[in-house]
Amino acid sequence: MATSSAPIRLSWQDPSTGEQRLPHLSPPIALGREFTHMPVDWQGQRVSRIVLNSGQVSRFHALLTWENDQLRLQDQNSSNGTQVNGGRQTDCLLNHGDVLEIGPYRITLLLRDDTDLGANRVRGDSVILIADPIPEVAPVTSAFPPPFFQSRQVNIQALYATQYPVEEVDYGALGAGLGSFVWVDLLRLCGVSPQQVRVIGLEAQPYARYQRLCLNSQIPAHERLRSNSDSCPDNIWGWPGYALREAWHDFTQGQLRSVGYRLWQVFAEPTFAETYTPKSGRVFASIDREATRIGWPQMYRFGRIRAIRQTDDGRYAIAYALGRGQYAFLVARYIHLATGYPAIQFLPDLQDYRERTQDFQVVVNAYEAHDHVYQALERQGGTVLIRGRGIVASRILQRLYEARQRNPNIAVLHLMRSPKPKGNQFQYARRAVSNHFELQPFNWPKACWGGTLRSQLEQAGPEERMRLLADWGGTTTADRGDWQRIVQAGLDEGWYQVGFGTVTRVEPDAQGCPLTFIQEMGLKGEIKLEANFIIDATGLDGKVKTNPLLDELVTHYNLPLNLAGRLAVTNDFELVEMRNHKGRMYAAGAITFGGPYAAVDSFLGLQYAALCAVNSLAQGRAPQLRSLHGWHSLAQWCKWARNQTP
Amino acid sequence: MTPTLLGRWQTRILLFLTVGLLLTLPFGLGWIGPGGTAFFAILFYLLGLGLGWDVLYIYLQKFRWDQDWPAAYQWLAALWEGLVIVLLFEAMAISLPGVDAEAFQLGWFLLHYMVVWVGIFLASQSLMRLLFLHWRFRGGQWL
Ligand SMILES: Cc1cc2nc3c(=O)[nH]c(=O)nc-3n(C[C@H](O)[C@H](O)[C@H](O)COP(=O)(O)OP(=O)(O)OC[C@H]3O[C@@H](n4cnc5c(N)ncnc54)[C@H](O)[C@@H]3O)c2cc1C
Repeated sequence: MATSSAPIRLSWQDPSTGEQRLPHLSPPIALGREFTHMPVDWQGQRVSRIVLNSGQVSRFHALLTWENDQLRLQDQNSSNGTQVNGGRQTDCLLNHGDVLEIGPYRITLLLRDDTDLGANRVRGDSVILIADPIPEVAPVTSAFPPPFFQSRQVNIQALYATQYPVEEVDYGALGAGLGSFVWVDLLRLCGVSPQQVRVIGLEAQPYARYQRLCLNSQIPAHERLRSNSDSCPDNIWGWPGYALREAWHDFTQGQLRSVGYRLWQVFAEPTFAETYTPKSGRVFASIDREATRIGWPQMYRFGRIRAIRQTDDGRYAIAYALGRGQYAFLVARYIHLATGYPAIQFLPDLQDYRERTQDFQVVVNAYEAHDHVYQALERQGGTVLIRGRGIVASRILQRLYEARQRNPNIAVLHLMRSPKPKGNQFQYARRAVSNHFELQPFNWPKACWGGTLRSQLEQAGPEERMRLLADWGGTTTADRGDWQRIVQAGLDEGWYQVGFGTVTRVEPDAQGCPLTFIQEMGLKGEIKLEANFIIDATGLDGKVKTNPLLDELVTHYNLPLNLAGRLAVTNDFELVEMRNHKGRMYAAGAITFGGPYAAVDSFLGLQYAALCAVNSLAQGRAPQLRSLHGWHSLAQWCKWARNQTP
Repeated sequence: MTPTLLGRWQTRILLFLTVGLLLTLPFGLGWIGPGGTAFFAILFYLLGLGLGWDVLYIYLQKFRWDQDWPAAYQWLAALWEGLVIVLLFEAMAISLPGVDAEAFQLGWFLLHYMVVWVGIFLASQSLMRLLFLHWRFRGGQWL
């Protein structure tokens, strides 16, 4: 039994970044939106103050204290109240495993410290790097980059003196993924010639890594993405969108019903029809066409980027490794950084399990290659435990449903932290919920891309941005009829079950299958779940510290990070601290999350960032660049339509 | 495109004064229907009232979690905006500068309104994006 000063553990997932939080705290604990509005002392004891940054949370929302060896919750007259295990409470005693709901935060209380949770590991540990086709072999401490890279600025002559190849251009795109692609595409449309652009990355196709992540998370070419019709990485205008193109294709095949349905979808979505989304294969094919049109292969250079430095003549030098002891430099005046997600987030208890057992087959992450799971299940049946309830969990469930068509002896346990009777609330609106999944067509409310929410976030200060992101964020899935039917069928037929609780530890049983120990909500106590496989579908990690290249850059130039731990960028997506005379550096994608734009990690968000960056370059009169407006824009579109070089 | 208030206003003004005016010409000049300046006047009343409706629509958007405005809603709004003009000049027979309620011809109005509306809708779905890259990222602001 806990004594009156014993620390407790709170556990929650941050609604804006998806990060797991597991602080060890001694009551009294104050929970609220503003640090300064919570008391410093309570009855002579120091208060641990926890900021929950959301508009649905009051400045001082609730207080947790020990009272006669019992933990007591007192709501501080908050506007939106505190829910305990789904019921509203103003003053009550709490138990091990209870779940507090405060705005978008769902916090599990762990009073007994028999929990393992992998909590002793440093949080940043609990990730696995995204597998690239060419792993980094040589240690980064090797002779490259050369010692003069230790200084703040490097000299061009010194680069040439190394005898490694040096290329000098105006524009350099780093990453060569989708973010680089849309930026380079826009540069080409604005008049920049391929000779003045270089792109460095590990794979020749801009969607290579994205495609791999899609395939791993069970989205093959014929399956649909979670993307709007007019989010077209191959077409900055977004017209014609994928729905129109698909309708046209079906029309030429004589499939008139399908034509009508696609057009109806984009007209009536999301209220009267299911939101249209394109098939992944079609998106890749469209990118291939555009890549050829703009001369991407000519601009692409293979290599792993080791370091980025300012030069003493107002540019940037990029040192990269080509493998087998070969190295090269790129020098450019304008740099665009889009290295994507550095890592896959892994639940700490699962990461621990893998480290302890060295078994990488039974506990897997949804973003890793894990087809062996479905093959084994199709062969011999079994039970799968899914953790996480986002879009990827939906896809996995669909894949398991398909596996069940081949072998009906497959059962699915879906483990969630707490029930979700209602969705997030923002102003007058509330997000819809079905079977404990929060529903939303895309990963952010739609107005984040170009509507009212976009301008609201852009105008907000750093703290307020995090608050808005928490209110709009959280794990959601798309309202797709097929998924709803699968969930319902699974529940009715009994092969799909949803359980709630907090995992205390995962251990192998005698047969080498993972046993999950769960603290159920309320007083129900601990239960054990047996499964043949566990699939972690909780997400990706975008923190700068996880990427060695970015971490080095941030440390070397002492760059500021934003409150989400990502690169701090201006509203133009510039890293102003990296300015070097006329030289400019921009960033895009997940590494800029927490800044002026919510949906940075999406096709349309990458295009938005590219537009902002190119606009700011045009204002600074960057060479060859003419902003794309009016007739000029229309003329470029005509070239796109006729598949002519820009 | 997910509109903001400023975006709605800018888009409405631009499209009414270009596509709207262009499509009103054949009606005003009498190539289609009886002709007369009333068609132009009605276009301006539609525009003026529309700027007011936009304030209402933006308010309604706040009740949608995605704060969006599906294409289908644009059509419902168009029905409503047309209906108000019919109520004004036909049902309540109110004459306003430029429009004589006595001379208001419902059939020709409906045809004119339909042509203008479809023209504006199609332009907003395609041409606006091609001419103004930022338009869809700034809630319909093209300036
Ligand atoms: C499964 C999944 C589904 C998604 N579905 C959608 C969707 O339907 N619609 C949508 O709009 N968005 C979607 N997204 C989000 C987003 O559009 C993609 O993640 C997109 O690929 C992001 O582009 P990026 O350029 O930021 O990163 P990436 O495309 O991952 O590119 C980054 C590149 O940088 C390279 N790189 C990193 N470090 C180095 C280095 N040191 N040296 C050299 N190269 C390096 C990497 O190898 C990688 O190729 C999805 C994301 C995932 C994971």
